[in-house]
Amino acid sequence: MKPTLRRILFSLAVLLWSGVLLYFHASGRINVYLAPDFRPIALVGGLGLAVLGLFNLFTAGQSADCGHDHEGADAEGHDHEASDLPPLTAFLLMVVPVALSVAWTKDEYSANALTSKGLYDAPADFNAPFLAASLPPFTREDIEKSQPKTDDGFYKFNLMELFFAAGDREMQKALDGLKVETEGRWIDEIQRNPNGTRKRLYRLFITCCAADSRPIPIVLEFGKTPPEMPENGWVRVAGVMTFPTEEGILQPVLQVERALAAEPPYEESFMRE
Amino acid sequence: MSPESQQDFALAFLSILFEGAPFILFGTLVSGFIDIYLPPGTMDRFLPKNKTLAVMSAGLMGAVFPVCECAVVPVIRRLVKKGLPVSCAITYMLAAPIVNPITALSTWKAFQGQGAGMMTCSRLLLGFLIAVGVGLIVSRLSLRSILKPQLAEELENDAARSAAKEAKSHKPDHKHDGCCGHDHGDHHHHDHGDCGHDHGAPQDNRLVAAFRSALKDFVDVGVYFSIGVAITALFNTGIAPGAEWLDGLAQNPYQAPAALMVLAFILSLCSTSDAFIAATLHKFSWGAKLAFLTFGPMMDVKLIFLYQTVMRRRFILFLAIGIFLAIGGISIFWQNLLLSSMK
Repeated sequence: MKPTLRRILFSLAVLLWSGVLLYFHASGRINVYLAPDFRPIALVGGLGLAVLGLFNLFTAGQSADCGHDHEGADAEGHDHEASDLPPLTAFLLMVVPVALSVAWTKDEYSANALTSKGLYDAPADFNAPFLAASLPPFTREDIEKSQPKTDDGFYKFNLMELFFAAGDREMQKALDGLKVETEGRWIDEIQRNPNGTRKRLYRLFITCCAADSRPIPIVLEFGKTPPEMPENGWVRVAGVMTFPTEEGILQPVLQVERALAAEPPYEESFMRE
Repeated sequence: MSPESQQDFALAFLSILFEGAPFILFGTLVSGFIDIYLPPGTMDRFLPKNKTLAVMSAGLMGAVFPVCECAVVPVIRRLVKKGLPVSCAITYMLAAPIVNPITALSTWKAFQGQGAGMMTCSRLLLGFLIAVGVGLIVSRLSLRSILKPQLAEELENDAARSAAKEAKSHKPDHKHDGCCGHDHGDHHHHDHGDCGHDHGAPQDNRLVAAFRSALKDFVDVGVYFSIGVAITALFNTGIAPGAEWLDGLAQNPYQAPAALMVLAFILSLCSTSDAFIAATLHKFSWGAKLAFLTFGPMMDVKLIFLYQTVMRRRFILFLAIGIFLAIGGISIFWQNLLLSSMK
């Protein structure tokens, strides 16, 4: 392949990566993929790739002197552009997986992937001391004093606090029997649900990127057939928080009094920090 | 692949790609500019002449020039071509992602409440020791047993050419200034045919050459990164079989470090952020987490592909087995020592 054509091909591959990075950033979809501190890095990376691709595209036909001696028998071994793979193969390997992924992604995991990432694991299996330590210690008095409340008397909590209460005796004591409201994604409960009266509510916790995310779930108990909601749709639920031990496993279970579809929050996942 | 699997693969693939691509770009830009602007042999001058001291210094270079494992491969590719001894380059490659201030800070932050200071110091020390140990072993091996044949041949040709030029350069009428990498005096005569540099080359042309070199490096590394990320995404989302047995090994003191090293290998996390994952693996022992944090930045699925741009497959296999055994053994020993001192 002629050097000019090779440079154009490689520049286009780099520009595709750049375009994907910048598009996801500009559209806000990057929020699903990366933790906040990685997003500006991704933006700079996308811009940098654009500069690299465009510069090489516009100078593809230009002759350039690297400043080294290329004369003589060693010239072959001194090629600054010799690649490990045939250029067309390299181009396809750069472009095809990215293009397919952009076409396939729905910005969320399927139930199968969530299950393999721990959606139905016991809360005790996700004991993250550094995370638990970052949550403020509180008592029932603290909650009554400072926790925001809905008009109908439910304390507003995020799902992370309710989930971690299952592994923290102090939090459990403060929350057990309390009327709380929280929000998350709606999904089927496939464990300990013989009468079909339960659903599961979860949000993802992202450390750096979606690949390292883990679901943070609680169980929703309706006492009757749960209402119809779209799977993975956002819902706001309110009820009484309980921590029963079922089949030897301590579970955070919300006895639901109301459940309504909700708008997704700006940050759909919990993020480190 | 079912539509659900496609969706899962795509999310994991893109997220790792978005996280890693900027770091690869940084590494390849540095490598491109090193290629064109750094005179051969410059790195050599920063290192002590003594081979052991040089390898040990290379193990600490990450503290001055911090790069993660994605960025370090293109940089060392270029540094090797620029005359940095392979033993020092491999030491730097293995140590820099761990022995650097960003990784130290993230480890310390992630392990708050879990012996953060001890974990951070242990990680940096173990990373340094393993990298220096590998570097010292590599310094006794031939280039051809380590590097890809084409790269080894290039280096040998460069060495032969340098030797020939060195002999020529001592002719009385051949004078260089300092920028050639070897100062022959104060004369102003400059023989471009022999010195290996065209000192009259226009700067804009060299900029084009630098960007071309960076583009080529980015594509070389990007291709292998892309393959590695694709495989990681398949394991990460449970599409590939084999994730469940890991949990079953957590309580075994000898199998747990091995299990977490396998996990680190599969997940291919960035060294600047892997501590946040390790800190959540509560089923596993402290020593197993140390093994995870030390082995991962040195050897994982995507690095296997990146390393193949520089090293022979057989050497990579021996390197992987060697550091797996060494890190596993030291982690178990270190944990037992700490536990017994606490009793």
